[in-house]
Amino acid sequence: MPLHDVGYRPWTGRLRPGGAAGVIATTGIRLTWKSRWLRRVLFFAWSPAVMFAAGFFAFEQALDEGVITAGRTAIGRLDGLQMIGSLVAESLGGRLDDPAEARRTVWSRLLLAFMRAPQAMLLAVVVGLVAPRLIADDLRAKAWLFYFTRPLSRFQYILGKFGVLAVIVSLVTLLPALALWLVGVLVSPSISVALATWDLPLRIAGAAVAVTLPTALLALAYSSLTAETRIATFAWFATWVACWIAHGALSAADATAQANPQASLTAADNAAEQAARPRPRPRPRRFSWLARAAGIDGSADRWAWLSLFHAQGVVQAWIFGIERRLAAVLPSLAMLTAVTFGSLGLLFLRVDAPARA
Amino acid sequence: MIAAGAGGTVSCEDVSVPEPAARSLPVRLEGVTKRYGRRTVLSDVWAEIPPGITGLVGPNGAGKSTLVRAILGLVRLAAGSVSVFGLDPAVAPRQVRQRVGVVPEDDATVPGLTGVEMVQYAARLSGLPATEGLRRAHEVLDWCDAGQERYRSVETLSVGMRQKVAFAAAIVHDPDLVILDEPTNGLDPLERRAMLGRLVTLAREHGKTILISTHVLRDVQSICDRLVLLVKGRIRLAGTIAALTETAGEELRLRAAGPLEELVAALGERRVAARLTDDRRAMLLAAPTADTLAILWDEVARTGVDIISLEPDRRPLEDVFLAALAAPEEASHAPA
Repeated sequence: MPLHDVGYRPWTGRLRPGGAAGVIATTGIRLTWKSRWLRRVLFFAWSPAVMFAAGFFAFEQALDEGVITAGRTAIGRLDGLQMIGSLVAESLGGRLDDPAEARRTVWSRLLLAFMRAPQAMLLAVVVGLVAPRLIADDLRAKAWLFYFTRPLSRFQYILGKFGVLAVIVSLVTLLPALALWLVGVLVSPSISVALATWDLPLRIAGAAVAVTLPTALLALAYSSLTAETRIATFAWFATWVACWIAHGALSAADATAQANPQASLTAADNAAEQAARPRPRPRPRRFSWLARAAGIDGSADRWAWLSLFHAQGVVQAWIFGIERRLAAVLPSLAMLTAVTFGSLGLLFLRVDAPARA
Repeated sequence: MIAAGAGGTVSCEDVSVPEPAARSLPVRLEGVTKRYGRRTVLSDVWAEIPPGITGLVGPNGAGKSTLVRAILGLVRLAAGSVSVFGLDPAVAPRQVRQRVGVVPEDDATVPGLTGVEMVQYAARLSGLPATEGLRRAHEVLDWCDAGQERYRSVETLSVGMRQKVAFAAAIVHDPDLVILDEPTNGLDPLERRAMLGRLVTLAREHGKTILISTHVLRDVQSICDRLVLLVKGRIRLAGTIAALTETAGEELRLRAAGPLEELVAALGERRVAARLTDDRRAMLLAAPTADTLAILWDEVARTGVDIISLEPDRRPLEDVFLAALAAPEEASHAPA
């Protein structure tokens, strides 16, 4: 028996169980952070930000030296940094005659490209590493008995688990993007640029929410369906891959039909379809392949709603003000909303199901 | 602010409960019925669980776990109502669970946490601040004699140590009602005795209400005040242990050091009905009267027997249990 054993003593303080979700989240983050693989992936997840920061720097330098607005974009007359800056401006379609507008457009597209191309992929990996364990492990270890015999509601439990993922996902999307905006302000000629682009941090936050909500809740819903972490992990990655393939296949079929309309459609059908299809937006003048690769070219993508990745891209582009046609966004927005609420409903049904059985 | 039941000093500003409710009976079950599909798991259960230690016994599948879940508000009842300290768990489950601590039968652990982290986690989920939760976790683990094992991951702990951690996690927020499912499972005799001692301390010295769901009738007989026997979702038997184990013939059991055989023979010669128990370590004296007791004292003095105890004989609880199981099924509608 320890020397300081004072026997059983009643607790005389106040019990405030209202912050249970925060307790679950902080404990979950601490446990999750123990994973060496996760720490490596998170470290790696910040490396693309360095490249994009260089893009911000090059663009600001080129803008500051007037090589963009003066129309001196011929590669032969520019040094290396100026060339990169003008390339960024060209590919991202900034209006070259107005520095403020050019900055606004290029920054928005750079940030969107950052959140789309490297971070959204890394996000899928990070969520795949973390989320499947969060509820499946509780089911396997019967921790639901531990949780639901305490003053804790299902909502608090789900919120706590979601909090774990939200923080981890923020480390991959929100924080690096905000850091990039800050870098942009720091490398710009005046601090007043921060005021001119004040809305970008809000748009970054909105875009991060658009990614986090459906992604985290879907992954948690998978985790709540099984006590086997492997199955939840497989389901998560299978969903991403299958949706991506479905989107790719249908988009490719569309492209083929567009290239050779007579092969699959009668002239009347083709005309009707062409009329129904939204008109493509004017593309950037040069280096459009770069914008396409970053997923920010804003061209019509009627199958985007099929894929989580592409649907999120469309909604994020809308949040950043790059895609302005609400009709083109609505299917993706509806799909993400359905995934969010469907997953939430599933979680409410599943998390304490063993306790009710 | 509310004050907890007798002996408890839990207070909570988050929960407003009328004062009379706080003083009401710990648990009251009124016609509780629970069905899973067509299967009736609890059928018209009426019972009251007063302060003290109550044993909830019954064969496997009797509905004990479901009854515990009903008390915690985890299951939706088909009929009837449950009241815990005057609160309906179906309406206010969080307020009820704030005043209840549960030790589940299964290992309910959070993978990755150490023993003390687990108890602190339980404290924080129950509403204790972080630092106080840690202090309180160490305090109850000390009381449970957890030693340095508390710093090991819960997955690597022995069964006994896990049981201590689970118990500490259940009482860390100083609940008024503690529900334990097979609390002595996997414990060695010393640990078992220590665990039962802690339960007695909580009930007798701190006024807690303890409900033990168990198969070990010896534990029930040694520490419980009351027993509720559940069979096929119905209460077959309920009452105080003293009343249930009382013998109809009112025999006296005498335990003594010395030649009991000689004492029995001497009493027989004086026409006092007495016999040795099967294990020959005690003597049973039938239908005691003032005359027979006077004869007993004479013979005890003459034979040189040292009396250890003389008390009304009681039936073993196991006999009561088996007899109740064998009895024809009948519904219990009165509060047990």
